[in-house]
Amino acid sequence: MNKEMSIRDFTMIMVLGLIWIFFYNQNPEFIGSRNLSNLAIELSIISVLALGMLVVLLTGEIDLSVGSGVGLLGGIACVLIFNYSWPAWAAMLAALAVAVVLWSSMGVLITSFQVPSFIITLGGLLIFKGLFWMVINSQTVSVSKGGEQNLLSMLTTFSFSTIVSFVLLAGVCFALFVSMQKRRKMQKEYGFESLPYERDYLKVFIICQLLLLMTLVLTQFRGVPLSLVILGVAATVIYILTKHTAFGRYLYAIGGNKEAAVISGIPVQKIMCFSYVILGCFVALTGFMQAAYQGSSTTTVGELMELDAIAACVIGGTSLKGGRGSVGGVIIGALIMTSLLNGMTLMAVSPENKLIARGSVLVLAVWLDVFFAKKKK
Amino acid sequence: MSVALSVSELTKEFPGVKALDQLSFSLEEGTVHSLCGENGAGKSTLIKCISGIWPSSTYKGQINVFGDEAKFSGISDSEKAGVAVIYQELALVEDMTIAENIFLGREPKKGFLVDWNKMYDDSKNILKEYNLDLNPSDLVGDLGVGQQQLVEIVKALSKNAKILLLDEPTAALTDSEVKILIDIVSDLKKRNISCIYISHRLEEVLEISDHITVIRDGQSISTKSRKEWTYDSVVSAMVGREITNLYPRKKSTVGSSLIEVEGLSAEGFSNSHLALTEISFEVRKGEVLGFGGLMGAGRSELLMNLFHGVGDRSKGKVVLKEKAYDSPSAKESISRGLIMVTEDRKRFGLVLDESIAFNLSLSHLKTFVNAGLVDGNKEMTANADFAKKLKVKAPDLSVSVGSLSGGNQQKVVLGKALMTEPDIVFLDEPTRGIDVGAKVEVYELINQLTEAGKAVVLVSSEMPELLGMSDRILILSAGKIAGEFDPTKSTQEDLLEAAMKFS
Ligand SMILES: Nc1ncnc2c1ncn2[C@@H]1O[C@H](COP(=O)(O)OP(=O)(O)OP(=O)(O)O)[C@@H](O)[C@H]1O
Ligand SMILES: [Mg+2]
Repeated sequence: MNKEMSIRDFTMIMVLGLIWIFFYNQNPEFIGSRNLSNLAIELSIISVLALGMLVVLLTGEIDLSVGSGVGLLGGIACVLIFNYSWPAWAAMLAALAVAVVLWSSMGVLITSFQVPSFIITLGGLLIFKGLFWMVINSQTVSVSKGGEQNLLSMLTTFSFSTIVSFVLLAGVCFALFVSMQKRRKMQKEYGFESLPYERDYLKVFIICQLLLLMTLVLTQFRGVPLSLVILGVAATVIYILTKHTAFGRYLYAIGGNKEAAVISGIPVQKIMCFSYVILGCFVALTGFMQAAYQGSSTTTVGELMELDAIAACVIGGTSLKGGRGSVGGVIIGALIMTSLLNGMTLMAVSPENKLIARGSVLVLAVWLDVFFAKKKK
Repeated sequence: MSVALSVSELTKEFPGVKALDQLSFSLEEGTVHSLCGENGAGKSTLIKCISGIWPSSTYKGQINVFGDEAKFSGISDSEKAGVAVIYQELALVEDMTIAENIFLGREPKKGFLVDWNKMYDDSKNILKEYNLDLNPSDLVGDLGVGQQQLVEIVKALSKNAKILLLDEPTAALTDSEVKILIDIVSDLKKRNISCIYISHRLEEVLEISDHITVIRDGQSISTKSRKEWTYDSVVSAMVGREITNLYPRKKSTVGSSLIEVEGLSAEGFSNSHLALTEISFEVRKGEVLGFGGLMGAGRSELLMNLFHGVGDRSKGKVVLKEKAYDSPSAKESISRGLIMVTEDRKRFGLVLDESIAFNLSLSHLKTFVNAGLVDGNKEMTANADFAKKLKVKAPDLSVSVGSLSGGNQQKVVLGKALMTEPDIVFLDEPTRGIDVGAKVEVYELINQLTEAGKAVVLVSSEMPELLGMSDRILILSAGKIAGEFDPTKSTQEDLLEAAMKFS
């Protein structure tokens, strides 16, 4: 299985390379540091949402309401800040609380009353959109009063200075290195074979090199954007959650064989419910970032984002039937989606054609999913 | 006699394993040729090569069907050549009727429309031809596993198959259903249909075969006609050593009661005709309690009701380790030291896409959690220990369970259950589909459990196993207890008679 996955991952990286070469050909500015900085922010927004989506998809369920949720939760934060003069942190906490309530209720409906998640979240899509328009009164609400910076608006506008960027980079590389060393030490202690030292080392080295390259490019413009750091933290959290906790193991088990999971004594309903709550929190975070990126909350914020998130997951090898998917894959998938969107914007492709392109990519991704699932058998 | 099917020097490799190694053998027309071998010997792989599930490009060697070289690239090719396969895992649509299933994909038509009358009429005749007392308009999902298996065979035969490949067709059948199947297979010889037959039940292999080939590690060890084999010679050819005692039950000292069930009545199972009525029994430390009965008598349902509350309990008291236990859930049961190994391992026991290691520790992850994170190394050590103890045959623990042979899957399910350190183990058909050698290993495991003061409840459809491994036997018949037996003083006939008491 592992081999198959890596063939797939490899294909995706090739596809990504082709996309980049194509857009670079069309407009060299595509890999300019300014555009890449934008791309990094867009990537962060979609990836955070897709990572939340991954948690739910792993159990074999789905959530169509996240796009409306992004609008609603970002809208709530904006209204509290702009109309009621709340401090940004309090507004964001309040919106987060709303997210937890909404998504846990959807989770309960899906698990306890056995309504298919497709239906519940389709209802959510419409209801949240209605609530969203109500909250912002179908107008445009700015993220900050009088254009001054606050915690919310900084989510996508703030970048770390060159020095801090490199300090961060050094920190991340150091952490990667230390965790590798620690893993090897533990493996030795338990008497397991580990990869040859050179290969482990090379892997970490290559990742650090890539991060260095990215930092160099980004510091040419404004520095490493805060949103990219948020993505890094979110990805680490979801990675640890899915791969190194019992909860994560249970997600895979439920998606792989629900009946076996029940018999194994896994609290299936609780786990599924909780997966929705986690997604809710990520939707809220995405909502804040998206509102910040657009500078305000308007009726169209978050539209179709559920599809981008699902597409990112599926392109990255997540199975819609559950039980299969990884953080790395999702981020590659999100990178493909955002590169396409960003490149098309840069080429001034008309909105009609952009929609058609997005749709085609989605269909292609699901077809790929089916194709690889079949091949595995 | 002419040769229906011949295989020469077939080699099939998977990453890390040579499943078939230069294997040759031939099947004469109108005979039954059995393949015997331990779990993972390569029997199913051979069937998959012959039937085209593994396309001809993926193996080395040659397959001839009625003299012509066969290069199948899929099941449809082999079907066209007159080869049909019956798997242990059924391939029927449960929501369709028997007739619809028999004619699935080749429905008789009148113009554009399905000719229902012809379909039901033909089905009725086919069923009658093979002496099956089934109504073609019954839903397949309502049939027992055994009857479904028979429908599957009839379906294959109705496609005019000339060569039938049966891979463990009886693994899920009760003795009476096995009889019907054996009759059908013997009948096939008269119609000049040739069969390859695979089963771990050697009695039945010896009964119906004309030839037997023993396979070990992907190689053909020996092919002889039936007359030249005995039970013992097949067994020792299979495992490569002598097995002296097939049922090595060692009695342990019986201690205090671990679970007591009193007057339990329940209904509302997926088999809606079934109602468990007034069931009382007790299992004590160091004891093996056997449960026998016909398929559908409610043995599995009883265990499932006790273990995780399947069905609606209307009456009855359950005491688990001296504490009342009235609304069970799998989670609660496991934490109180009760575990169940289910009979349908694919459906309830395993996450097939995941690795051996993932499955082994699934029920027991909590103990490996350290500060919220699963301690992968600790988990790996425990997994490696268990895999060794159970002799799971696999290149390593990261291969997916779905790619293991049936018997090795069963060992993983057992290991998964035992890892929870239970005091009471419910085993529902624990040796189904596993070879003689592995069976003895499972029995020895049962002995170890009772020696350590644990209790085992053993549900089995194989009478010799029930008599050989239980300390006491209860027979269920149509949801009621039809008698208790002392295995040292009872015969298979006694048990069978009781099993039919209320049905
Ligand atoms: N798809 C696969 N991928 C990898 N290995 C496989 C695959 N299928 C079978 N194997 C391996 O090939 C060997 C032969 O397996 P096979 O299923 O043919 O055994 P078998 O004789 O049918 O055993 P059983 O009696 O348990 O059904 C085993 O070691 C098994 O793990
Ligand atoms: Mg097999």
